[in-house]
Amino acid sequence: PAPRQPVSRTTTRRHRTGHAGRPRTSRPIRPRLRRAHPSPSSPNIGPTRPQSGATSPLSSCRLSAESPPESGSHRALHRAASIASSSDAGAAGRHQEATCPPVSRCAAVFASDPPVGYHFTCGGRLTLLAHKTAVYKMSEFLELEALDGIRMPWNVIPGTREDAVSCVVPVSAIYTPLKSIPDMPVVPYAPLRCRMCRSILNPFSRVDYNAKIWLCTFCFQRNQFPQHYSSISENNLPPELFPQYTTIEYISTAETGPVMPPVFIFVVDTCIIEEEIGYLKSALAQATELLPDNSLIGFITFGTYVQVHELGFGLLPKSYVFKGTKEVSKEQILEQMCFFAGKQKPTTGVIAGTRDGLSSESISRFLVPASECEFVLNSVIEELQKDPWHIPADQRASRCTGAALSVAASLLGVCVPGSGARIMAFVGGPSTEGPGSIVSKSLTEPIRSHKDLDKDSAPLFDKAVKFYDQIAKQLVHQGHVLDLFACAVDQVGVAEMKVAIEKTGGIVVLAESFGHSVFKDSLLRIFQSADNGLGLSFNGILEINCSKDVKIQGIIGPCSSLEKKSPLSADTVIGQGNTSAWKMCGLDKKTSLCFVYDISRKVGPDTVAQQTGEQLYLQFVTYYQHHEGQMRLRTTTISRQWASGAATVQELIDGFDQEAAAAVVARLVSFKMETEADFDPIRWLDRALIRLCTKFGDYQKETPSSFSLSPRLSIFPQFMFNLRRSQFVQVFNNSPDETAYFRMMLERENVGNAVAMIQPSLISYSFQSGPMPVLLDATAIAPDKILLLDSYFSVVIFHGITIAQWRKAGYQDQEGHEAFAQLLKAPHDESDAIIKERFPVPRLVVCDQYGSQARFLLAKLNPSVTYNSDNPAPGGDVIFTDDVSFEVFMDHLQRLAVQ
Amino acid sequence: MPGMPGAMPPNALGQGMPSTPTMPYSPHAEAQVSTPSKIDPNQIPRPITETSVVIFETRQAGQAAVPPAASSEFIVKDTGNCSPRLMRCTMNQIPCTGDLLTTSGMPLAIMVQPFALPHPSEEAIQLVDFGEMGPIRCSRCKAYINPFMRFVDQGKIFICNLCGFSNDTPREYLCNLGPDGRRRDADDRPELCRGTVEFIATKEFLVREPMPAVYFFLVDVSMNAIQTGATAAACSAISQSLSDLPEGPRTMVGIATFDSTIHFYSLKRAQQQPLMLIVPDIQDVYTPLQMDLILPVSECRDSLEQLLESIPSMFENNRVADSAFGAAMKAGFLAMKPTGGKLLVFQSVLPSVGTGSLSARETEGRSNISSGDKEAHKLLQPVDKTLKTMALEFAEYQVCVDVFLTTQSYTDVASISVVPSTTGGRVYYYFPFSALSDPAKLFNDLRWNITRPQGLEAVMRVRCSQGLQVQDYSGNFCKRVPTDIDLPAIDSDKTIMVSFKHDDKFQENSECGFQCALLYTTVYGQRRIRVINISLPCTSMLSNLFRCADLEAQFTYVVKQAANGIPSSSLSQVRDQVTSTCINILQSYRQYCASVSSSGQLILPEALKLLPLYTLALTKSIGLRNDGRLDDRSYWVSIVSSVSVSLAVPLVFPRMIALHDLTSRDDEDPLIPNPLTLNSENIQDNGIYLLENGEDGFIHVRNAVNPATLEQIFGFSSLAGAPNLLVLEQFDNVLSRKVNEVVNEIRRQRCSYLRLRLCQKGDPSGDFFRSLLVEDKAPGGLSYVEFLVHVHRQIQSKMT
Repeated sequence: PAPRQPVSRTTTRRHRTGHAGRPRTSRPIRPRLRRAHPSPSSPNIGPTRPQSGATSPLSSCRLSAESPPESGSHRALHRAASIASSSDAGAAGRHQEATCPPVSRCAAVFASDPPVGYHFTCGGRLTLLAHKTAVYKMSEFLELEALDGIRMPWNVIPGTREDAVSCVVPVSAIYTPLKSIPDMPVVPYAPLRCRMCRSILNPFSRVDYNAKIWLCTFCFQRNQFPQHYSSISENNLPPELFPQYTTIEYISTAETGPVMPPVFIFVVDTCIIEEEIGYLKSALAQATELLPDNSLIGFITFGTYVQVHELGFGLLPKSYVFKGTKEVSKEQILEQMCFFAGKQKPTTGVIAGTRDGLSSESISRFLVPASECEFVLNSVIEELQKDPWHIPADQRASRCTGAALSVAASLLGVCVPGSGARIMAFVGGPSTEGPGSIVSKSLTEPIRSHKDLDKDSAPLFDKAVKFYDQIAKQLVHQGHVLDLFACAVDQVGVAEMKVAIEKTGGIVVLAESFGHSVFKDSLLRIFQSADNGLGLSFNGILEINCSKDVKIQGIIGPCSSLEKKSPLSADTVIGQGNTSAWKMCGLDKKTSLCFVYDISRKVGPDTVAQQTGEQLYLQFVTYYQHHEGQMRLRTTTISRQWASGAATVQELIDGFDQEAAAAVVARLVSFKMETEADFDPIRWLDRALIRLCTKFGDYQKETPSSFSLSPRLSIFPQFMFNLRRSQFVQVFNNSPDETAYFRMMLERENVGNAVAMIQPSLISYSFQSGPMPVLLDATAIAPDKILLLDSYFSVVIFHGITIAQWRKAGYQDQEGHEAFAQLLKAPHDESDAIIKERFPVPRLVVCDQYGSQARFLLAKLNPSVTYNSDNPAPGGDVIFTDDVSFEVFMDHLQRLAVQ
Repeated sequence: MPGMPGAMPPNALGQGMPSTPTMPYSPHAEAQVSTPSKIDPNQIPRPITETSVVIFETRQAGQAAVPPAASSEFIVKDTGNCSPRLMRCTMNQIPCTGDLLTTSGMPLAIMVQPFALPHPSEEAIQLVDFGEMGPIRCSRCKAYINPFMRFVDQGKIFICNLCGFSNDTPREYLCNLGPDGRRRDADDRPELCRGTVEFIATKEFLVREPMPAVYFFLVDVSMNAIQTGATAAACSAISQSLSDLPEGPRTMVGIATFDSTIHFYSLKRAQQQPLMLIVPDIQDVYTPLQMDLILPVSECRDSLEQLLESIPSMFENNRVADSAFGAAMKAGFLAMKPTGGKLLVFQSVLPSVGTGSLSARETEGRSNISSGDKEAHKLLQPVDKTLKTMALEFAEYQVCVDVFLTTQSYTDVASISVVPSTTGGRVYYYFPFSALSDPAKLFNDLRWNITRPQGLEAVMRVRCSQGLQVQDYSGNFCKRVPTDIDLPAIDSDKTIMVSFKHDDKFQENSECGFQCALLYTTVYGQRRIRVINISLPCTSMLSNLFRCADLEAQFTYVVKQAANGIPSSSLSQVRDQVTSTCINILQSYRQYCASVSSSGQLILPEALKLLPLYTLALTKSIGLRNDGRLDDRSYWVSIVSSVSVSLAVPLVFPRMIALHDLTSRDDEDPLIPNPLTLNSENIQDNGIYLLENGEDGFIHVRNAVNPATLEQIFGFSSLAGAPNLLVLEQFDNVLSRKVNEVVNEIRRQRCSYLRLRLCQKGDPSGDFFRSLLVEDKAPGGLSYVEFLVHVHRQIQSKMT
């Protein structure tokens, strides 16, 4: 047969299902999956997990017909329905019951899964409309995400540079490289690469089965199949050519060498009160029990000084003590920690690791397999005590966080460069000593606030950031991760450390105390077994390939540019750019990166030739150290359509994923707030929204009342309204540490979770009806209802005043009031489920109406009823704010959009 | 005084020469030596051992008495002047004018050894407590009350014997005068009748609470130290010495080990293993903990003992050859900084890394010497100021450093010794270190270091009567202000030399007073002031000066001056200097006190008749001989700087006794037989000889010695394969017992555990032994007779 014609993805799939042996059971459509992830019982990896050393890509191909178990919990539905009006609860109910029929990917056969959203009617009143679309719909985005871990605001790509610019929201993708994809194949051989552009053979590649040639998707280079692919035919395909396996992993042991054990260095603050030390001890003791046996463990404590514990020394507890006022370089570590004892020190070059001549005995002094150091480690943890140096009453403890991290980084650089390692820092207060200190010791000087940063009156901030930037560079170079567990009532310097955590892909957990469940449970989650756990992976390198005319501006997310400039990198840079390859020292199943593309297609003679349906391709290649140790390569190749020259607005709207757009805009605005001086986020957001509405809205000029938005965009203004009010933009309500924490989470989470951060979900529990998603609005409050707010970082259970009174009276314990007990329990069950799944574990707030903790809920609600409203809802609550309500916001938007 | 011991009838000297009669005006005997060729080697002056114990009253009939020789045994009765052990002047009458002193050619200095060990039969120094008032002092010069302050005007006024100021007697201290003009209570009050007293210090003498007795041990665990057994020896010595530490809750200990890093141990972990904390930054050291590194010995004794036991095995496989001595000292110091105390360092190799690291200058030095470089002596100076600066800081915080060098190679003692000598400590040198014989000495040295009488955080000042002023102090201390010296620690072995110069004239028959005041803290934490007084008559007669000259004190002065000169001038210059000092003194005597005698005669003042012999010995000593190792010379210099009068002479003029015939002596005889003359004629071929200088004992076994004797003493019958460094065991026979008794008695006398070395003929060690026989002619020096001739010629040429 002749080489295959380029075909659209959907048709290819249909075609393939016909040939590829057993038809694959179509993935059921899961309505608006936000939290739902494959359940723990899903099959281990893909169907082609290497077995009995089979290395031929063809012989090992066995397709599984297993479909991922249905996991759309009703919680997922609440999220969906939370933007639906409460009167349409039935719609949500339907979702719940829907046993979704198998649906092919053919664009024409979309099932009726009504997306919901606000629609703006002429009167400006909010009405919920069920809308059907002919192209993409919400569920489709979710399905694509489930398949490849990618969501894009524009799933039909603006055809020209000008178009792209006028679309306001950039062409971008939020990609989760290690997303757990239940039936993704893992094949035991190396991928085939295009000999020209090094892109990887994928289902979109055209294959000439007779000539044994494949055509590169990106550069159209013809590549010969190697010898071991000789039996390839239309009926005998290697997994990487199966249409549904657009994401596939390769393990090639020949190339990757032996399994590397993960390395964990605990860096523990001891300048904390006894009580906190106690909490920390027990948390660490629990965590160490879960450490994988083969993992290498190091232990560092710090206070005034840094102590590196020599866990490999059995005779007595032994530690190296470094001064807290100085950074420690790799050379100093080599020299001062006796790595050359009894040997001549090489005269030139930086020495590191066993490969460069360090003896493994000298390394195993500090990094000891968990199975061997259990006793020593436990006794070190058991004997942790408060930093003994005296602190004058008017001073802060002398805490040298920076030096400790510098020591840890250099030690890892000396011992295990290039092999996966995490520095897990447990910090209980601000650094006051040495490099990276954020505040002076004197208690009269407060820790910097956003105001100080704004006014440039935080003298230590820039210096500390610069220091951590250096640490970040060193760690990235070594391939190591910095994780931060910041547990203190006051700030500890997360804002300064952010750069190092983010560039290395570290985890950050912020809590008030080491005794708080946010910390304790999160720590345990990290070490839980791989299936439930985070799947901590190391040392990732991510490379991309793009079709012609698509360039990459950069990534906003936890990674670091490798500065590998290529034709793919755009001139303008956003985030980590100037490259087509990135380092991700640490990544896990959830790490999500936001790729910002640049469309360089110009209007010209070619444009005429452009047809609707022309495809463009994006490939993501992630080479990483799997949590089980071996190196793997995951490749994801996706295809999207170019918008045609004419009538693009409707095409674009049809491909618009407003959630993804909201997530991208949130990342963008956070990024700009941090990097651009005098950036006015409110103004920028408003202008962006207005421009978007002007371009895509349906209206008569200068007639605000005529304004309406397509359902594809209809929820977007609400996202923007909530984003404007969110912690990402309204930073002054938080400390710089909290802001840094929120932003780091935003920048590593997938679209669904990002949306939850921007616009929390609200579920109402009452006797009148079952659990029901309600509008995020002050009117949701009622005395006889329990509300459950999930704003990602915290989960709030809010008892209406009547419920609270009943509960205080103890009715739930009395016979005959089982229903009430049930009602009280329901939101707790729900929150437990949320908490169990989420990392970091959110903070749970249980509060009553009019109680002080109720502010956690009120702050998130649309202030439709404020203290100066004319007619407060009976039994409801008023919100003491001068913020405009969503209604007012929309009025303004409509007025400005139509101008 | 012809009957004086050692005096020789003048006519007995120049055999066959017309004998010169004794000068009629000379009140005392002179030793006279005639022309060289005719000198009878048996008649020339030699020390004579005094065997009877003298009871010495310091003042007799209101006059200062001339003290017995420092090397003799005597019992002091303090009757106003201090014991000569505590303070001894180079001349027992003070010249009235500076010119007279210059003419005499003699030095004017006192040797102060404030904690000198008393004779067992002597009365202890009395402690006086003035309560809150504090000791009575002269309000002008701040001199302390002493027997020479004169009370007048019915005791209402007392006149300071040092500055002459009239002070009002405090009301509480008033007492009527007796008919003799003395206070009636003078004999009841020690401060008015004793040369030496101690006062309890009042608050004004305290800048802080008296410090506890802190002992911090620093042990080298680098590869060499481990392999030579030095670490094990040090640990065992420390462990055994723990029980000798002063008792009580105020005695604290700490320990650290070091190689290229410094390892501290936190012992405050009841029932648990100590925590080992390593300071890796040896350029910029610090203590890893603020507390818990130094603990009361009672709290951590057991764990410390366990730790000491395990240190050698813990570092058994240590491959770190580098040693960060300077940094370790600094780190140890930082740990002790809040309290001060004694830092005892056990070092085994040349400090090669970290702050204050040193280089092997010796090789460089050898080539310099062979090429005749005039600057060779520079290698005897500290290499740079780092250690000195460090030492000054240590002293400021009352940290005294003692260094035990258990080494087998060059360690640059010249640089290292700066620290102990500035902080009131000393260097102990075990070269070449032997794991077999040296641990015993190490232990004994350490134990003596801990148990000997001593004081901490001391300040000393010497005051003298108007007419004289202190010119200089010399010894192991730190001097920050011109008048006082700071001694982080001072012990019974340390002597400080104070030299004086005239700034005015004294009246004939007046007395010149000296007062040494030492403010210190006892190891039990009591702050005290030890006040030592001496008052000597003044004279304008040169002959009186010679008559009352103190040979040993003067010679000690010469030795110390020579040691001072070694690092800064060439050896030949120093030797010339020493010889010319001797010649000048003798020439002055010849010229002004014995001018009538014939120029063909060498006339020696009776008191100084051994000066030429000692001077000759000095020029042949380890410090001044050409063929010594640099480190040996530096070590010699370092011990001389604090050596006492009684040990300075033996150091250069050793004592030789025969061991093989000890059995022939009666039990009534003194334990130690009379020393033999230091010349080879005294050496019999069947003999075994012990020659000791207070530091080392050299046992010379002759070839024809009876194997049975050898067997009895050493336990082996043949010298073949015998180790150079001996362990003297006691065997079950009389000879062995006697030898042990003798050696132990010497050890007791010298307060030093002799390092015994075997010297065999035909071996370098045998040659070395021969070179210690100072009367013999040696390649680098004259024989005694030749030297006398040389001296005589020089005097003659000067006089003409």
